[in-house]
Amino acid sequence: MASSSNLDAQGMSARASELLHEQQHAVYVRTDRMFAALMIVQWAASILIAWFISPLTWAGKTSEIHVHVQAALVLGGLITSVPVLFAFMKPGEAVTRYVIAGGQMLFAALLIHLTGGRIETHFLIFGSLAFLAMYRDWKVFVPATVVIAADHLLRQIYWPESVFGVIAPEWWRFLEHAFYVVFENVFLVMSCRANTDEMRDLAVRQAELEDSRSQEQEKAAELDRALVALTKSQENLLRTEKLAAVGKLAASVGHELRNPLAAIRSAHAFIVKKTGVGEGEFSDPKVVQFFDIMEREIDACSGIISDLLDFARERKLELRSCPLHALAEEVISVVPATEGVVVENLISNSLPVPELDKAQFRQVLINLVQNAVEAVPKDREGRVTLSASGGAASPWRIEITDNGEGIPEDVCRDIFQPLFTTKTKGTGLGLAVVSGMVERHDGRIWVESVEGEGSQFIIELPAVDAPAPDAEELFPEAQPALN
Amino acid sequence: MSNTKILLVDDEDSLRITLAANLELEGYEVLEAASAEEALEIAEDNTFDLVLSDIRMPGMNGVELFRALRAKVPDLPCILMSAFSLEELVSSALSEGVFTLLPKPFDIQAALAVLRNAASGPIVLVVDDAEADAETTAGLFEAVGLKARAVYSGKEALAAVSAGEIDVCVVDLIMPEMTGSELITELGKLDDSVPVIAVSGHDVGDLLQTSRSQVFTSFQKPVPPADLIRAVAEARAPAKRS
Repeated sequence: MASSSNLDAQGMSARASELLHEQQHAVYVRTDRMFAALMIVQWAASILIAWFISPLTWAGKTSEIHVHVQAALVLGGLITSVPVLFAFMKPGEAVTRYVIAGGQMLFAALLIHLTGGRIETHFLIFGSLAFLAMYRDWKVFVPATVVIAADHLLRQIYWPESVFGVIAPEWWRFLEHAFYVVFENVFLVMSCRANTDEMRDLAVRQAELEDSRSQEQEKAAELDRALVALTKSQENLLRTEKLAAVGKLAASVGHELRNPLAAIRSAHAFIVKKTGVGEGEFSDPKVVQFFDIMEREIDACSGIISDLLDFARERKLELRSCPLHALAEEVISVVPATEGVVVENLISNSLPVPELDKAQFRQVLINLVQNAVEAVPKDREGRVTLSASGGAASPWRIEITDNGEGIPEDVCRDIFQPLFTTKTKGTGLGLAVVSGMVERHDGRIWVESVEGEGSQFIIELPAVDAPAPDAEELFPEAQPALN
Repeated sequence: MSNTKILLVDDEDSLRITLAANLELEGYEVLEAASAEEALEIAEDNTFDLVLSDIRMPGMNGVELFRALRAKVPDLPCILMSAFSLEELVSSALSEGVFTLLPKPFDIQAALAVLRNAASGPIVLVVDDAEADAETTAGLFEAVGLKARAVYSGKEALAAVSAGEIDVCVVDLIMPEMTGSELITELGKLDDSVPVIAVSGHDVGDLLQTSRSQVFTSFQKPVPPADLIRAVAEARAPAKRS
């Protein structure tokens, strides 16, 4: 089988970007949480630092906690709380990480201030930027850089000591710091983009993997289906072969038997008439009885042969309009009446008339009605009904229902198989013939049965709108004359 | 009846002998032949009223024999017997004017009834208000050596059937006054042993809602002549025992 992708290229890339977004979102959420924790720890640390580094202030006798400690507590708390709040309220969203980026930078600025502009504290900025790279989203560097640059610029102007540790730094000090930040940003942005590319590749590969897995599954399912179809066609083939074998045998045996049977019948008829069975030397009641038996058994033989030949015969259908109500009437009149079983024709007279091979369909119904009648146990008030519906646009559905003993499930399965029989007397061809005839009408037949309650044989014939030519003349002149 | 002479042809001795005995018992005079060739020899020097022949025989078959005999006597009633189900050969013979087919193994009483009917020279009645159609159809049957009569109304048809001799009716369903369906009902009351072949230019099925088992088959016009002739032959076959 050609390896055809389930998803087209477009579908595949859609799936890949979906996977990428999923993974990115997971990274964002994870990093948001990490920053939230980091910032809380950072805040606590800043309070301690302020406590130890900043001396107590005092005025007169009162000694006070240095304003730095208060700043660390209040300002640090403020700077920390907003990003942490975002991290918990809106984890994974873009605004959260931008707020975190800005907040982290502000906190670094605060720490620089608390340590009196120590140059080493500036490393927190670079460390923070590196941490922000964990987002694998280069855009976080924009708010971070803007915040820190603005902070340095403003403080250089208004409070240089707080940022650079000296009162009058060179005018370009702010630019120098900004340059370091931008310098680091370049590498971090590159790393982020490389990371994203890698993730994208992974996502594409995963999408491909998923696709090929689903292809595999589909292939497996297809194989299963093929196997089922194969088994079925094998069964059909077997059935067909069996049918063909039976057919050949039936045809030759049947025909060979018909001539002798005809002769026996003829001889029997002659003897009965000529000798006057029941009179004179033939008056023994056993003679009368045996002649009756002979006749009955000859009939039985010819019935079996007819079954066989019907089965073997694949005669072309002669389709004609065949009103179902009338056909059912005829069938009921032909099936021998059985005591205790009522056969009812419930088919409406106004049902559309199908095109059928009357002779064949008559036999189908005779067989089914006969079976239905025989299915009724002796101790029961038997009721066999023929009903039909559909026609014209919808398929015809003909039902032969009995309230007999029902058919076990395993029997139902094989009931239309040739040579299958549960009767002690029977060829096992009756229903095979029936199903063959129905199938030749492009119809199908099946049985529904509840053991102990009865069975229903259902025939479905395809809806065919009968053609209605408007020819008024019996034989138009175009018809060839007969010799 | 005692004068009726039957030519019986079958290569199966046992059937031929017993059948001949039965026919003689019925009062027929029987000429036996074990092959078609022998039958033709007999036909050289003898006349007979009816032919009863098997189809499958070594050498010339029954259908060929039928054609050869018909060439000499165009309206000789011929009944064929076969152990085989309907086949091409039989089907074409039936549309060429064979009286009917007896499928082996037939019931003797039913077969005798068919023979009696054939020997009596029965008539196919064609009922159609369109006179030209009726005549054309009747002509078709006569062309293949079958007796036929055309009538143009239900009333005439009933009269003809009452008079006897009619054993099959071909009825057009659409007629003024008495319609085909009404006629079929009336015919059923009169003599329900006369099968009816219903024909119509319209949907036969719709018109035949009240059809009874007496309607042997139905056709929609235009009916191929061969089919119609074959249907008459089939309608004359012995009643099926069941």
